[in-house]
Amino acid sequence: MGVLKDFFNLLKGMTITGKHLGRRAVTIQYPEQKMQMFERSRGVVVLLSDKETGDLNCTMCMLCMRACPTAAIYIDAPRDENKKRVLKEFKVDHALCCYCGLCEEACNFSAIKLANKYEFSTWDIDDLVWDVNKLQDVGRDVPYVDTRKKKPAAKAAAKPAEKKADDKKSAADGAKPSAEENKQSEGDKPSEPKATDTAAADKTAPAKDEKAVDSSPDETPESDETRRSADDDTKKGDA
Amino acid sequence: MELYPVFMWLHDLLESTGIGEPWSTIISYGFLAVTVFGTLSILALFLVWWERKIAGHIQQRFGPMRTGWHGWYQTIMDAVKLLQKEDIRIATRDKAVFFWAPVVCFVAAYLAYVVIPFGENLIVADLNVGILYIIAVTTFTVISLLMAGWGSNNKYALLGGMRSAAQVVSYEVPMAVSILTVIVFAGSLSMVDIANAQQGNIIFNWFIFKPPFGIIAFLTYITAATAEANRTPFDIPEAEQELVAGYNVEYSGMKFAMFFLAEFVNLFTVSAIAVTLFFGGWHGPLLPSWIWFLLKTFAVILLLMLFRWTFPRLRVDQLMEFAWKFLVPLTFANLILAGWFKYAGWHW
Repeated sequence: MGVLKDFFNLLKGMTITGKHLGRRAVTIQYPEQKMQMFERSRGVVVLLSDKETGDLNCTMCMLCMRACPTAAIYIDAPRDENKKRVLKEFKVDHALCCYCGLCEEACNFSAIKLANKYEFSTWDIDDLVWDVNKLQDVGRDVPYVDTRKKKPAAKAAAKPAEKKADDKKSAADGAKPSAEENKQSEGDKPSEPKATDTAAADKTAPAKDEKAVDSSPDETPESDETRRSADDDTKKGDA
Repeated sequence: MELYPVFMWLHDLLESTGIGEPWSTIISYGFLAVTVFGTLSILALFLVWWERKIAGHIQQRFGPMRTGWHGWYQTIMDAVKLLQKEDIRIATRDKAVFFWAPVVCFVAAYLAYVVIPFGENLIVADLNVGILYIIAVTTFTVISLLMAGWGSNNKYALLGGMRSAAQVVSYEVPMAVSILTVIVFAGSLSMVDIANAQQGNIIFNWFIFKPPFGIIAFLTYITAATAEANRTPFDIPEAEQELVAGYNVEYSGMKFAMFFLAEFVNLFTVSAIAVTLFFGGWHGPLLPSWIWFLLKTFAVILLLMLFRWTFPRLRVDQLMEFAWKFLVPLTFANLILAGWFKYAGWHW
């Protein structure tokens, strides 16, 4: 009965192939469909930007450059007169890069990452050397966990809020005190208006504070500067 | 003499224009030949595409997808490409043999369609020795493979040709004997008579439903037919891993395409014979007869394709052993018992 058993085995094999015939193909039709790579897959090297300010997280410590086994990273950041590093050049040669991820591990500031993007082939090998602008642009929409200990970004976010509150308070203070000063110079009623003023400021301040916190991430550096100068002016005025 | 409506209409038309008797018949038959040739070429191209799709989906791929909807004109473009290719002819070839091998292969593959009924009255010529004729002409294929192997002056090609000769000669025997079993049932060699003998009683007059002889005959036939068509469990002549490509290793361009297309025409031939002998030919309710015939044939082709993408290849000695020690005794016993039942008049 070996023949029947063999025959049965053949039928079994055909059932398996028949089942597979009915299944969906797992092929991804590449240019039309693209594979979503895993979050941790190591593709193109990018520089990460701060989530709020949009500035580079990089502190130019050059640890990644030293960690790189293939010398694919080149950083040129000479110190200026204040002994602060100024980023002159940050290049990653993707033709040299071996996608080991050691730079990512070396970085203490969540500044460099191997993103899960994989389409960066070029016609010319020289185009594989990316400068800082390209590295930053490609890295803008790359999600990452910010592991920086000091969180300077949070401080930067908090500072303008305080400043703004101060600013408005002092502006309110500054507008009236000038009148008051006049009054003071004219007549003698220093305590009453000041008390009412501060009370009014206390009432309005918390609401203004919240608003300031809400809107602070959208603030641009320019407005920050103007605000600071205004602050200085009022301080001077106060003084 | 079938394909009556078209043939007779054309014949009468030519007669009415005043062309003499020999010419009107010759032109009418020429028209038939071109029709059959064109249909089969399209079918062969379709089968290549279909095989690639089936192979892909069995392996969870898509197969051809780039040319048209699901790559439907992939094989047409392949044929166009092969037509443009340089016809490489090695210097040490046997000129005449090398040239004629693909022609013989191609012609032998198409010759069988003289007697295959595609539907009611849809047959080129209803020979009274129809099935015998098919067995005779399909054997030309092995000559062409041997010619290709010899003419190429290449050890792989020659090995492929020799293997193919040994294989096809071996499997001719069980194939012919299992066909004989059907002839015992039908009492005729004519393809039309065999198909007509299976008419009626829904599908239970089909010869495959004549237990146990019908089913054994079908299984032995389909096994031998797979070997005849040089398809995978028995594709010893081509055996890519052992012989590069076998007999056609030195062929390129359109000559290779002729071998390739002939292979798929042979696939259709053995399936069409299986349908005529075991599955009631073109008979079926409601739909036109030729649609029934094509549906059944494609079902059998699907079975052969499943064989191809499921089973591993046999070794040469296993192949011979299987043919002579298993298939031949089985088919002979089947034939003798069937003949005995028929002679005794026992119905089943």
